[in-house]
Amino acid sequence: MLHQDLWDQNAKLVANCVDHPFVRGLGDGTLSKDAFRSYVAQDAFFLNAFAKAYALAIAKSETMEQARTLHGFIDGVLDELGLHAGYAKTLDIDLRSVAPFPETLAYTEFLQSRAWHGALGEILAAMAPCMTLYHHVGTLLLPNVHLNHPYKDWIESYSSPEFGQLCQSLEQMLDEVSTDTPAVRYAYQYAMQCEFDFFTAPIERS
Amino acid sequence: MNANLNPSEQRSLAAIQECSFVVNAGMLWREGTEAKFLDSIQDGSLPKEAFDRWLVQDYLFAKGLTTFQAIAAARAPRSTQKVLIAGLGAMDAELEWFERLASERSLDLDVPHHQTCQRYVDYLIAAAYTQPSEVLVAILFGVEVAYLSGWSALEASGPYAEFVTRWSTEHFLAYVHQLHDACVLHPHQRQQDQFNEVLRHERDFWIMTYEG
Repeated sequence: MLHQDLWDQNAKLVANCVDHPFVRGLGDGTLSKDAFRSYVAQDAFFLNAFAKAYALAIAKSETMEQARTLHGFIDGVLDELGLHAGYAKTLDIDLRSVAPFPETLAYTEFLQSRAWHGALGEILAAMAPCMTLYHHVGTLLLPNVHLNHPYKDWIESYSSPEFGQLCQSLEQMLDEVSTDTPAVRYAYQYAMQCEFDFFTAPIERS
Repeated sequence: MNANLNPSEQRSLAAIQECSFVVNAGMLWREGTEAKFLDSIQDGSLPKEAFDRWLVQDYLFAKGLTTFQAIAAARAPRSTQKVLIAGLGAMDAELEWFERLASERSLDLDVPHHQTCQRYVDYLIAAAYTQPSEVLVAILFGVEVAYLSGWSALEASGPYAEFVTRWSTEHFLAYVHQLHDACVLHPHQRQQDQFNEVLRHERDFWIMTYEG
């Protein structure tokens, strides 16, 4: 299946993300609050673009069934933004005036560029890494969670069966719609690289 | 644009380099138009590897810019379309020129974008669809005036004279002035911000061409 092939082709990048200091810090709870604050703000900015990319994907959907599924993904993004709003309140972050890092802009402009200009299959390939990587990371980190773990909510959200279900739906649609072309492979790989850079920026810039 | 200049001076390179976009960009203007790559073209010390990297990545950039220009032309009001369509038409010859050069040097143009080039192209294509058409003209003006200024500062001699000449012509200068005229005719408060953003990408692109 295409989604599995793409995941396997990017195994090294995935492993680098899992082993990233940001992710390790999330897991063992040692990630600095500043880095997490910075990450939450950037991720909220990113998710706004992510939701719009899904909206553009709906415009390019071929069936109502696809449109309905993509609509469900937008709901998922809005739920994530709800989680971020909660963090913003606790951590005193103003999500209305986030200045994006270059790494964030690189990712959002890549998504926008694909969403406006690319075919549906390419858009889905560009969007899949964000979902599947987060579920993968959340699931791997879940055994670390305890009652007072500072990043308990984050880990539990992304490892949840509900989020896992969204990932599966996206992967299923990717398999149905996309074909194994260089553009699809490139979009998936580039997005995965953007994920890695996205983890790096809050540590280097906060 | 400096309103005190007489009409002939207003069409000069110096006049365009004193327009408000350039002045308000501050240090970014120099950062986006001066580069080690260009210095090395001038003194003949440019490593072949850097030149080949520039040629391939600039071709990939030019393809992305062509996409941007096509969308910008389609979205522009009729009064701005003439200059945008003329610019788009010129891109065909530009791409063919790169293709011929790459073929002569046995360079493969079917390669991935360098991440810096990818970022620049993604910025342009995302902007093409999401920014107001007045801002798109300012973006294109930024790309072209930076290129014109960067190359025009060099003397057309030595092994790279062909390149210096190509992007220092009166024809190119006139085109850049027309783009500036279109910006002035249709102002927008976001023009300067995006002009500055172009210069940041230009700066990063030049660094990439030299350093890899």
